[in-house]
Amino acid sequence: MPQLNCIDPREQVIEVTFDPGETILQAAHRAGVGGILAECGGGCSCATCHVILDGTWDGTIVEPSTQEVDMLSFAVNPTPHSRLACQVELSDKHDGLSLSVAKRQY
Amino acid sequence: MRLGIVGAGQSACTLLAELVQGEFDGQILVFNGEPHRPYRRPPLSKSWLKMSADTDTLRLLPEPVENHISIQWIKEWVKSIQPDNGEIHTEQASYQVDQIILATGTRPRQLTIEGLPSETTHVIRTLDDAEKLRQHVDHAENITVIGAGFLAFEIAASLNHPDRTIRIVAKGNRLLPQVSLKTAHRLVDSSPALTQVDTKIESYDANSKSLTTNRGPVPADLVIVAAGAIPNTEVAMRCGLGTTDGIVTDVFMQTPHPKVSAIGEVSLHHQPHLGKSKRVESISEANDSAATCAKRLLGHPVPFGAIPWFWSDQGQLKLQIAGLCARSDDETCLIFSDTECVVIRHCGDRVTAIEAINVAKEFMAARRLFECGVVSLSALVEAGSVFDLLQSSRS
Repeated sequence: MPQLNCIDPREQVIEVTFDPGETILQAAHRAGVGGILAECGGGCSCATCHVILDGTWDGTIVEPSTQEVDMLSFAVNPTPHSRLACQVELSDKHDGLSLSVAKRQY
Repeated sequence: MRLGIVGAGQSACTLLAELVQGEFDGQILVFNGEPHRPYRRPPLSKSWLKMSADTDTLRLLPEPVENHISIQWIKEWVKSIQPDNGEIHTEQASYQVDQIILATGTRPRQLTIEGLPSETTHVIRTLDDAEKLRQHVDHAENITVIGAGFLAFEIAASLNHPDRTIRIVAKGNRLLPQVSLKTAHRLVDSSPALTQVDTKIESYDANSKSLTTNRGPVPADLVIVAAGAIPNTEVAMRCGLGTTDGIVTDVFMQTPHPKVSAIGEVSLHHQPHLGKSKRVESISEANDSAATCAKRLLGHPVPFGAIPWFWSDQGQLKLQIAGLCARSDDETCLIFSDTECVVIRHCGDRVTAIEAINVAKEFMAARRLFECGVVSLSALVEAGSVFDLLQSSRS
């Protein structure tokens, strides 16, 4: 199975396997990656599943919707590579993608 | 300490996650009568109903919490509790605990309609309800949803298909009465459903497959009842706690009995934002009441002070509401364009809730503003948008 490398807020690296079609949130949540609150359960309504993707993967991931960009502007210290984990769908080509969970969700 | 949590929905699971994270030093028994591991309910009427998604995507608890050493899962319904001696009874056995947390949630209000066969009637609350509906929906050309709220409109949007006609029939004279007229109009206009209000259902005619109503027959191969929810208070009421309207708690989620707490949609407590007691059905209530209860059980009590918020997906429209208002509160439209809509609910100058359609920035700004204290309508109108008022209040 393809996998993600997730760095949690305590700097621990967790290898997370995923099924293509899943979102980052679903895969990370199942594995119990810390620091992702996802209060709304994946509905792009709370901005508490903020993750920062490794910039070298730009272009392989679908651009965020306006809704997601707006939500991200309320995340704590967003970066150009910030995303909401519930909005990024994974495919086989994302095998090996690295991401960090935001230090704080609010 | 030994805890017994009755229920395994959103609030019970948030409580578990908070207790595990807070390194709770004790044992936790969780009573879950449903034949599934804990799952998320909001998608059942939204994305999950539309797509043939795997039930794994609904999973509510992370593996390390679900299988945590302190947690014991008991796959039985709770029949009764005896608070004085900390006993929880199921059909099979009795369990002794120090604290009982009732997270029993709500169930759909059922309607008795003469002549309506049970295989034609559906509700959506549990995963099994949604599975059953999905199995029957393919052959239905005429679907009638009974109800007037978010759930009725979410179901209609999710089941929309060129081969189907979806109707929403409501008993009262208002659709979506929990939001402003302006917001309701926008949602109703964009809904694929044919709607009709002031409709009293008399019976079902199986030959013509239609509901007989005071306003004539309404075709319905399949009927979905989305007519509100009833709190599951029976276990509490049998021991003198709770009422038909909810289980009364203080702002620490404690009932009048020192060994019993209630969290989530079933708990009836003071809502500081509203200034009075109210039972609130929303994911924010489930999460925030559970977090408040967890803090108390971990020995660091902090009173409930959260601002409620809500969201609903209706096809292409995402409605987000910050705050909570009375249905009679006034409405003032702040932003209204082809794509976006922001309506302020208020009592005089005091803003009670902000409704935003497809404009997440305004919704998030509203939550932040409410967290900072009282929001004034005149200041908001002068600023022109919630976001601009937030920016100016920060500078």
